[in-house]
Amino acid sequence: MTDPAFSPAPAAEAAMAHTGDGTPAPAKITVRDLNFFYNGFHALKGISMDIPEKKVTAIIGPSGCGKSTLLRIFNRIYNIYPKLEANGQIVLDGENILDPKYSLNRLRSKVGMVFQKPVPFPMTIFENVAYGIRHHERLNKSEMEGRVEQALRSAALWDEVKDKLKQSALGLSGGQQQRLCIARGIALKPEVLLLDEPTSALDPIATSRIEQLVEELKNDFTIVIVTHNMQQAARCSDLTAFMYLGELIEFDRTEKIFTKPNKKQTEDYITGRFG
Amino acid sequence: MASNNSLYLRRRIANIVALLLSSLATVVGLFFLAWILWETLRQGISALSPSLFTKITAYGEDGGLANAMVGSLLINFIGIAIATPIGVMAGMWLAEYANRSKLGASVRFLNDILLSAPSIVLGLFVYTIIVLPMKNLTDGAITFSGLAGGIALSLIALPVVVRTTDEMLRLVPSTLREAALSLGVPQWKLTMQILVRSARSGIITGILLALARISGETAPLLFTAFGNNYMSLNPIDKMASLPQVIYQYANDPGDKLHAIAWAGAFVVTMFVLLLSLGSRLLFARSKVSND
Repeated sequence: MTDPAFSPAPAAEAAMAHTGDGTPAPAKITVRDLNFFYNGFHALKGISMDIPEKKVTAIIGPSGCGKSTLLRIFNRIYNIYPKLEANGQIVLDGENILDPKYSLNRLRSKVGMVFQKPVPFPMTIFENVAYGIRHHERLNKSEMEGRVEQALRSAALWDEVKDKLKQSALGLSGGQQQRLCIARGIALKPEVLLLDEPTSALDPIATSRIEQLVEELKNDFTIVIVTHNMQQAARCSDLTAFMYLGELIEFDRTEKIFTKPNKKQTEDYITGRFG
Repeated sequence: MASNNSLYLRRRIANIVALLLSSLATVVGLFFLAWILWETLRQGISALSPSLFTKITAYGEDGGLANAMVGSLLINFIGIAIATPIGVMAGMWLAEYANRSKLGASVRFLNDILLSAPSIVLGLFVYTIIVLPMKNLTDGAITFSGLAGGIALSLIALPVVVRTTDEMLRLVPSTLREAALSLGVPQWKLTMQILVRSARSGIITGILLALARISGETAPLLFTAFGNNYMSLNPIDKMASLPQVIYQYANDPGDKLHAIAWAGAFVVTMFVLLLSLGSRLLFARSKVSND
């Protein structure tokens, strides 16, 4: 493997995380002692983890374990609802994103997100992808067309939509809409891409396309994917975190989690004894 | 199990009685609605004539309703033109900025009170704050006016527009908001460029329903637009309107004027019916295309 992430980084040993084949890679996101409260309810308890750069990190666990909550803190989307509170540290490229002074605009251009259900905007396919870019950058017409095409190509959607860019995005199939949402996210050239159960509303064929896409996208992005589908985590992630009742039980190489987990709870969940 | 059988029998009887009573209530309600429509249709169609649309009310029994129709269109237009921007923006504020706040809840409550306020009160209110001061300021040159009538109607249309806009925006799934905000887009852009577009047909439906609602209003116009037997396009002059002429002619002993009033009632009813149908069609079609 000639992944650039493998080149020795100046980061300290402590900020190194394990990767798919056991080689340390620099941590893109460092979580330290993160606690989260929903209206007083302690939803995440003392989470610490290092998410490596340009790898796919999967978060699994039973419903209500806090996996989506954790993901939604990485771009502070939880901020739009009242009475939610996070404390601790989430360090992205050396800066704590939980610091109220950290600009949300900047955070969200660095950390993109794709949701469970495809949510195309009520506009044309082209405008869906161009919308976010237009907010962050001034591009002329041909530059914009280039960026949109590039994003749609990266999301493996270009060939299917290149002749109908002017049509409403609401006319696409569910799987196409979800790839459009991925294109919309990566069009901003983020560094981290958060996927919140991105295939749970899709059929098996559309799901396998998205999984393939995740495999390709990790060359350019740090990917964190929440999934309730264990096979999906096993198929497409390098590292897997198992969460239960708001705690991070185990975080290791995917292969290790699925073959020789250290903790009994992880093993019980993986083997289907609960969850 | 004799006791069980009697229990089942009692339930069956209760079921039949409840069903009969509720069906009867429905029939009574629909019967009067059908009767009103039928009577308006019967009396109105027989009185319809080309002169209704070409002649003005100044000719009385030999005249038509042209000035009242034009006046109604103008007054309704003024009412909707005022109520739409204010109502849509207030609805946006309620749904997107004040949804869970106490202030938002109070504003919603006050809006509901305005929604059910008697229209004659709104007419008197506009008379007091616009018609009388205008009269004093201009030494009696301007008193009643189409503009004042339009403002009175806008007060009736406003809460309808506020409420439908608020409700339609709140129906937009929160995932759409999250998706846009996660691109770093600020709240105002999200509201104006994405949510309003997504709820557009519902908001337009609300505006059309508000228009239908004010088209039949009479009481607020009596103290504001007053009425005019001649054609007037000047918004600061007295202006005729269909409901007000119907009211006036219906009070007249002359049969011919009654016939004209029926024809006017028929025109108003048709206008409102078409507006309601149109807005329902628009809403139904957009729901199909969104799914």
